Amino acid sequence: MKALFILGILVFMYCSSVFAHPEFQRYSKEVSGRSINCAMCHMHSDGPVGLKPGQIGSLNQDELNALGLARQAFKPGSGAKSPILNEFGNVIVEQLGKEKILMIKQRPELLVESLSKTSDLDSDGITDVEEFKDGTHPLNSLDGHPWKLFKNNLLKNWFHILMLGLATGCGLYGLYNALLWLAMKARREE
Amino acid sequence: MSERKSKLWRTIKFFSERIPLHKMSFESMVSKKEVPVHHMSWAYYMGGLTLLFFSIQMITGIFLLFYYQPTVSDAHASVEYITFFVKSGFLVRNLHTWSSSCMILCLMIHMITAFAMKSFARPRELTWISGSLLLILTFSFGFTGYLLPWHQIAVNATKVVLQSIEEAGRYLPGALSTLPTYIKEIIQGEASVGQATLSRFYALHVVVLPLLFFGALGLHLLSVQLHGMSQGIDKLAKKSEKFFPFFILKDFWLWGLVFLVVFILSLCLPFESFYSYPLFEAYDALGSTPDGIKPEWYFYFLYYPLEILPFWVVMLGMGISSIGLFMVPWIFKNTSRKVLSIIAWIIAAYLIIMTFFGQLIYEIFKGSHS
Repeated sequence: MKALFILGILVFMYCSSVFAHPEFQRYSKEVSGRSINCAMCHMHSDGPVGLKPGQIGSLNQDELNALGLARQAFKPGSGAKSPILNEFGNVIVEQLGKEKILMIKQRPELLVESLSKTSDLDSDGITDVEEFKDGTHPLNSLDGHPWKLFKNNLLKNWFHILMLGLATGCGLYGLYNALLWLAMKARREE
Repeated sequence: MSERKSKLWRTIKFFSERIPLHKMSFESMVSKKEVPVHHMSWAYYMGGLTLLFFSIQMITGIFLLFYYQPTVSDAHASVEYITFFVKSGFLVRNLHTWSSSCMILCLMIHMITAFAMKSFARPRELTWISGSLLLILTFSFGFTGYLLPWHQIAVNATKVVLQSIEEAGRYLPGALSTLPTYIKEIIQGEASVGQATLSRFYALHVVVLPLLFFGALGLHLLSVQLHGMSQGIDKLAKKSEKFFPFFILKDFWLWGLVFLVVFILSLCLPFESFYSYPLFEAYDALGSTPDGIKPEWYFYFLYYPLEILPFWVVMLGMGISSIGLFMVPWIFKNTSRKVLSIIAWIIAAYLIIMTFFGQLIYEIFKGSHS
C-alpha cells in the first residue's frame, strides 16, 4: 500500500513535469493582458495533476493507456488523443509533436508561428492561433476578442439583422399610423 | 385630540397633493397632457427607455426560467445548456445580460437628469422617492442575478460583498456590531455561500424583487402621469407638444431603434467576451480562484473606493448617500437648477471615472503604497 502511494506520488511528479507547460500560459497572458488558466489546453482548469475529472488521478485503465500513447507522440501526426488534454491541446500535439513542444517551451512565441493559421475549432471566425494570442478560449465560440467576435457575427447574421430591421421599421410604421388614427378619432369625438 | 386630528389632516393633505386622484382621467393623463419642449427634453425619454429594458428583462427572464435549475450542482450546467443547446438560448440569455446593463445605465442617467432638472420638487416628492426605491431594487436585481449562473466570478464576488457586510460590524457600537453578521447570515443562509444562498437569491430575483418592483413602478408611473412632466428648466418652456400622440410616437420610435441596437449587440457580441474565460467556469470550492474577481461594472463606483479607501470611510459615505438619496426633495428644496446641474455633473463624472478608470486608479494607488 505504502509502495503504491509512493509510486502514485512519483507518477504525479513525473507527469506534472512532463505535461504542464505554464510557459505557454504565461506568454498568452502577457501578450493579451487577459487572465487565462490551464483549461485553454487541458481538460481541467487546474492542470493535469490531481484527482478531479480530466486530471491524471481520475483516469481509468483505458484512459491511462491512451495517456501512455500520447506521451510517446514525439513526432507530429501521431493521431494520439490524450485524455488530459482538450481538443486544442491535442491539436497542438498532433500538429507539432511533443519533441517540438518541449523545444519551443522556452520560446513560447514560436507556438504561434508553428500552429496552423486556418484552424478554428470553435467556428467563431477567429483562428485558434489568434485566440491563443488574444488569451481567449479556442473551444468556446462565445469567448473571443470582443471586436473580432462582433465583426464576424455581424457578417454571419446580416440576413437576420436585415429582416429584424425591416420588421421593426414596419411595426413602427404601423404603430405610428395606428396612433395617429386614434388621436384623430379622439379629436373628432371631442 | 384636536392636535391628533390636525396631524391626520396634514397627512391627508400631504398625500392628496402628492397623489391627486381627482386628476385621474383619460383627458388629464393622456389627451390633454402636454410635454415641455426645451434643450433638456431628451431627458424625458430616459424613464421610458428604462421601462423598455425592464420589459425585455421580464420577458427574457421568463424564458430563462423554463430551463434554469437553481441548485449548486446544476445551475452552471443549466446555463451552459441554455447557451449552447436551447434554440436561440444564447440570444435570450445575452439579451437578458445586455438589457440589464442598459437598464441600469438608463436608470442612472434618468436619476441624474431628473435631479439636475429639479423634477423632485413639490409636489413630486413621491415620484422621486419611488424612483429611488426603483434604483435600489434594480441594483438588488443585479446583485442577486449575478450569483445565479454559479460561475467563478459570481460566487467569489458574492462572497466578497457578503464579507464586506460582515466587516461593517467592526465599526458599529455595542450590540449593533453583531447586526451586520446577522444580516449576512440571513442572506447567506448557511456557513458559506452555498445552496441556501443560491435558493435565497433565486427567490429574491424571480419573486420578491419583481413584486416589490411592480409596486414601486406602479406608484412611480401613476405619480408621473398624475403630475405630468416637470418643467425641467428655470424659464417656462416656450413650446410644448402633446403627450398623445406625438410624445408617445417619438417614444416608440426610440424604443424600436434602441431595441434593434440591443438585439444586434446580443446577437453579435456575447457580454462575457469582455471578461476572461476562467471567470465563467463552474464554481469549484476546492479549485483555484481565477484572477480578476470583480462585481458587475455598475458596482465599480462602490467597489474601487472599497479597495482603495478605509472601509469605514466608504461605509459612512454610502450610508449618508443612501439616506440623502431619499431626502433629496427636502435637502435641495431651495437649491437652484444651476447648482443642481453642477452637482449632477460631479456625480456623473465620478461614476464615469470610477467605471472606466477605477482599475487604473486602483493600480496607481496600490503601486504608490506598495
